[in-house]
Amino acid sequence: MSAGSGVLARAPRMRRFWGYRELLRGLIVRNLKVKYQRSLLGFVWTLVNPLLTVTILVVVFSHVVRIQVPQYWAFLLSGYFVWNFMLQTLSTGTWIFAEHSRLTRSVSFPSEILVFSAAGSRLIEFAAEIALILLATILLLHHSVPASYVLVPLLVLIQVVMAIGLALPIATLSVFYHDVYHALPIALASLFYLSPVFYPASMVPEALRTLYFLNPIAGLLTLYHDVVYAGQWPSAVLLAGTALQAAIVYAFGYAVFHRYASVFAEVV
Amino acid sequence: MELRGVSKRFYFYEHRTSSLREWFIRRILRRPIHVRHAAFSLRNLDLRIQPGESVALLGHNGSGKSTVLRLVAGIYRPTSGTITTAGRITAVIELGAGFHPELTGVENIRLYGAVLGLTRPELQARYDEIVAFAGMDDFLDTPLKYYSSGMEARLAFSVAVCLEPAILLLDEVLAVGDQAFRARCLERLRAFHARGGTLLLVSHELDSIQELCTRGVWLRAGRVVQDADIATVLAAYRADRPPARDISREDP
Repeated sequence: MSAGSGVLARAPRMRRFWGYRELLRGLIVRNLKVKYQRSLLGFVWTLVNPLLTVTILVVVFSHVVRIQVPQYWAFLLSGYFVWNFMLQTLSTGTWIFAEHSRLTRSVSFPSEILVFSAAGSRLIEFAAEIALILLATILLLHHSVPASYVLVPLLVLIQVVMAIGLALPIATLSVFYHDVYHALPIALASLFYLSPVFYPASMVPEALRTLYFLNPIAGLLTLYHDVVYAGQWPSAVLLAGTALQAAIVYAFGYAVFHRYASVFAEVV
Repeated sequence: MELRGVSKRFYFYEHRTSSLREWFIRRILRRPIHVRHAAFSLRNLDLRIQPGESVALLGHNGSGKSTVLRLVAGIYRPTSGTITTAGRITAVIELGAGFHPELTGVENIRLYGAVLGLTRPELQARYDEIVAFAGMDDFLDTPLKYYSSGMEARLAFSVAVCLEPAILLLDEVLAVGDQAFRARCLERLRAFHARGGTLLLVSHELDSIQELCTRGVWLRAGRVVQDADIATVLAAYRADRPPARDISREDP
């Protein structure tokens, strides 16, 4: 129960987390079960909403505001579901401590597991989504399997680390300040326009690009565009840079969470 | 298990700033962010419990009993002092924390086991025992939301009591289920104690306490009033029933 920092102090925390792996698994299964219980179409519903959005975006941005991207539908598909993953993990992650206040107040367990479980159940859905997207792009766009697809698991890993790293401090802040519930949707709505979801990052003026890529999601989405949509190897700088960003975001996010987690039981 | 010089301070807020807007305004006006006063729930508490003891914490509401359990369980951190424990601790502060109404009895058993820190093989080994102890085979595949509150508590208690930790902490959860089930719970806890398990419990069921515990610790306002064998402490505690006026103040 030492509150020290550094690598040495982290090892017992990781061991403790590992000891609760069954809880992580149980929470993920529960989230999915509860979500899909008594719905005939189940997973189809998870696809309907983003597919509808993608359709609308395709119509608007290839017929009204004409964004010059060939095979625009495939471009959108390769990024939108990743955006959707981030959006949903952040919004469910934010509620997670309030939602499990009984648990937090009456059981001693590594409470970051709750945030991990939010990302984990979303990840299982995303795995199915990305499989369908890869299949669609193989069949309808590339007509072969691009070699760059071997990078997809790595991109997914970066994406999950980044999502948890962003969700942890936001969820921590929301325990103390309820403004987060109001501010987060606004922030996410702005982030949608500031991330290359419906336009490629290459359209951003050169002068602004460094600033633009400070948004970690911009790098992540561009990687997906390169790998899935273009079927090309991304630049090593972009890949390494985004992985580093994810690591920094996670380290910062976990530090914030850990600084305050010990008083959650008294506040939540 | 040892608590040495443990204090726990809580803040009671007359005013708590919980929005950033207010935080900025109070900053600018140089008003305090929170208006609070500290109160000690526990003050310099020393408590040493040997492995295999069964100890009851007695005291009126707000005397610090539950705080002791939460500190030992690691849910709270002490403001000062040290707490050392050995072996796995299972704390049942709230029955069925982590239960989900949409899941079936079986699924909830698994989830609650995981909440209490069991790995899958550990739970598997105890699963039959838990189900047998709960004694409601017909309902195990029914979603929990169709359970009565008594059945729900019974299921939770069965999981908790079958875990066989080194130290078991129970917070006012003895009043569960019907007479027959309660008798079995007490039987089970006695067997746990007989096998060398350490038991620390908070309860207002003085009769159950007398049956289960060998030692009593009476707390008042976060300090130990008396720490002796259970018969002595219970006798003193019973004699010290507060006048009616005080009861109404405790529980408005």
